[in-house]
Amino acid sequence: MVAPAIHTLGLSKRYGDVDALADLDLEVPQGEVLGYLGPNGAGKTTTIRLLLGLIRPTGGHAEIFGLDCRLQPVQAHRRLAYVAGEANLWPSLTGAETLHLLARVQGHLDPAYRDLLVERFGLDPSKKVRTYSKGNRQKVILIAALSARPDLLILDEPTSGLDPLMEQAFRHCIHEAKERGQTVFLSSHILSEVEALCDRVGILRAGHLVEMGTLAQMRHLSSLTVEATFEGSVPDLSRVPGVSAVQVAGPVVRCQVSGTVEPLLKVLAVSGVHEVLSREPSLEELFLAHYGSGDVVEPVPVHVD
Amino acid sequence: MSTDLAVPADLAVPALASAGRGAGRVVARTTAVKAVRSALVWGCVCGLYIASSALAYASTYTTAREREALAATFGANAGFNALIGPAHQIGTVGGFTAWRSLGVVGIVGGVWGLLTATRLLRGEEEAGRWELLLAGQTSRRGATGQAVAGLAAGWLTLWGVTAGISVAVGRAGGVGIGVGPALFLALAVAASAAVFLAVGALAAQLAPTRRQAAGCAAAVLGVSFALRMIADSGTGLDRLRWFTPLGWAEELRPLTAPRPLVLVPLAALVLVAAGLAIHLAGSRDVGASLIPDRPAARPRTRLLSGPTGLALRLTRGVAAGWVAATALGALLMGLIATSVGDSLSATAGDREAFAKLGYSGSGVEQYLAVTFLLVALLTALVAAGQLGAVRGEEAEGRLEHLLVRPVSRYRWLGGRLAVATGYLVATGLIAGLMSWAGVAGGGVGLGTLLAAGLNVVPPAVFVLGVGVLTFGTAPRAVAAVTYGLVAWSFLVQILGSAVTLSAWVLDTSLFHQMAAAPAAPVDLTAASVMVALGVAAAAAGAVAFRHRDLVGD
Repeated sequence: MVAPAIHTLGLSKRYGDVDALADLDLEVPQGEVLGYLGPNGAGKTTTIRLLLGLIRPTGGHAEIFGLDCRLQPVQAHRRLAYVAGEANLWPSLTGAETLHLLARVQGHLDPAYRDLLVERFGLDPSKKVRTYSKGNRQKVILIAALSARPDLLILDEPTSGLDPLMEQAFRHCIHEAKERGQTVFLSSHILSEVEALCDRVGILRAGHLVEMGTLAQMRHLSSLTVEATFEGSVPDLSRVPGVSAVQVAGPVVRCQVSGTVEPLLKVLAVSGVHEVLSREPSLEELFLAHYGSGDVVEPVPVHVD
Repeated sequence: MSTDLAVPADLAVPALASAGRGAGRVVARTTAVKAVRSALVWGCVCGLYIASSALAYASTYTTAREREALAATFGANAGFNALIGPAHQIGTVGGFTAWRSLGVVGIVGGVWGLLTATRLLRGEEEAGRWELLLAGQTSRRGATGQAVAGLAAGWLTLWGVTAGISVAVGRAGGVGIGVGPALFLALAVAASAAVFLAVGALAAQLAPTRRQAAGCAAAVLGVSFALRMIADSGTGLDRLRWFTPLGWAEELRPLTAPRPLVLVPLAALVLVAAGLAIHLAGSRDVGASLIPDRPAARPRTRLLSGPTGLALRLTRGVAAGWVAATALGALLMGLIATSVGDSLSATAGDREAFAKLGYSGSGVEQYLAVTFLLVALLTALVAAGQLGAVRGEEAEGRLEHLLVRPVSRYRWLGGRLAVATGYLVATGLIAGLMSWAGVAGGGVGLGTLLAAGLNVVPPAVFVLGVGVLTFGTAPRAVAAVTYGLVAWSFLVQILGSAVTLSAWVLDTSLFHQMAAAPAAPVDLTAASVMVALGVAAAAAGAVAFRHRDLVGD
């Protein structure tokens, strides 16, 4: 049997009375790209620091490729690379020296790929770290981790400080990693990034994993947003089966539909509807639904004839 | 766990509070808060040292005869004069207290001043906090002016606390120092703190990093001390005293023959250095420095093959500075030793008094034994500094980049400690070698002086061990515990060399446990015990570190 890349059972961390992470059961099979979502303070970084053995769990345990994160950190670390959200590096070393050091400490490295990444991210490695902006320091640790070609990449908000072009370069790298069969654990609060890259998504809230699944599964469970514009009078849609959260603004009605849309379409068809817009919930809406604030994003047009 | 902005809570609040009251004195206030906080602690240290000197003298030397004997022994002793300054009227409580306090507390105050100023000016700027505070509020020059005002508040606190304790102890039975003289004593003692706060503020404008700024200011202190030492060694170079601020502080002569006029050059130096710092601040960008910082460099990767090589690469600059300072100091001590040693051995009274302190051997050896105490202090400070760097790697989040790779915590910590121990041995050996070069045929052999150099290593190893234990169990207290231990040991040892302290108190000084080499044979038993305890503490600390969470600042 192939050991999963990440496996945790009841993993918990308490700080005083606060549950930074409570009873996390997580399994990430090899080759998967997992998005790990949550607002600041939800426990994303705590999870990662537990996986890396930087902090001790107060309960449960965690394994990486079947290796205990607490007891066999060195063996586990041979197979992974990590990118922190905050790149505090040695200010007196240059970028090139830092990359050299981290590669030597890591033990393995693909020099050709490193050179390609340095070029792709547009990093000037001759500069001292002290003179780098936050984004440039972030590039250094990204290049160091990616060029090691590890079996598992653990990324904690890796693109903080990167400009949109670099964000694209980063996505390209993750696609490459996926093609090579590397596993990626991507903690983020940039939802479009997770939506574009990840096979599965876990949502964390106040230390608890509240949702876990593919985006398709999550969407299936939640409702569709429909916005209809009428030519004449606006019909009452609130009694239509499956329809909820009806908002009327002049000739425009906006509502949520769960389950089949057929009853709603039947009503609309006889009510002089001018235009119907509908869209699946974005990851953002799924995410916000878990946090109770539901600003609905503008729907995209759908033709109904 | 994630800290996006490195703004401590106590900074954020005043920044907001002042926003409504127009470009406020945010920088002045935040600097003052930090400076005052540390001045309260160090003011107590200085004050208590003065108090213990006065009280111990009053209770140890109760009769006029005893006091005369003491004056005869120490009054003309070149070793002690060089180390802590010349003695004036030490047959009186006031004379003795002033003598003991000025040299020792003056140095402590100077070190406090330069570390505080560079930390609160360049350190804050380096950490990026100034950019947040400044954002549109005031000019760079204005901000530096405010910061200097904050430092002034810190100095006033240092003086105030020291003065308060001095006045209180002056009223104690048998001491009898008036309020005015006590205030002037505190002023003289705190004078070097003011000078080196200003020098530190100036260095913070010149150097691009806190560490380099502190190094520059420390070099000024080192030169000032060396000049003062030569001047006070009885080698006929007394005039050199007027070329060093530490000499000026001596010439204030508190409690014996006060000369308030000497405050003029001291005040002038402080004003000029602080004014220059403010002026220079306005003619550079935030984060920039006047000593150019090369933004790029050719990669030098020879050492960068693992965590231990990295430790060497990161610390070698500072360590080289310490070793060079020790080498120069030792050479100087050696050169002075030959000229003063002979006069020292001439009087029988000296020999007898020194024998009581465990000092035997020739006059040169006795003089060197006193000055090797200074080497022991420097070496122990190297140990404390190395542990500060170890903790800094963890606190500032750089350690993670190593520990998330296949590097065990033992391997990382072991490498750091091996490098640190190497520096300790190097410092001791270079001190032995250079003092031998300085003595040059003064009748003390190379072997004896190398042994005296190695003799200072065990106390430093003990400091290292206690520091690792603290690092494993209470990482945020590393600096306080290690520097506290070194300062305590040195103060007790200096005080205990003249007055009777209880054996229990004396035994808590690491330097008391160390034999007075080269004036006494190296005590291998005591040295072994200190090393063994240090190693045991370090091992326990390493195990504790292996099993704890990494913690930031």
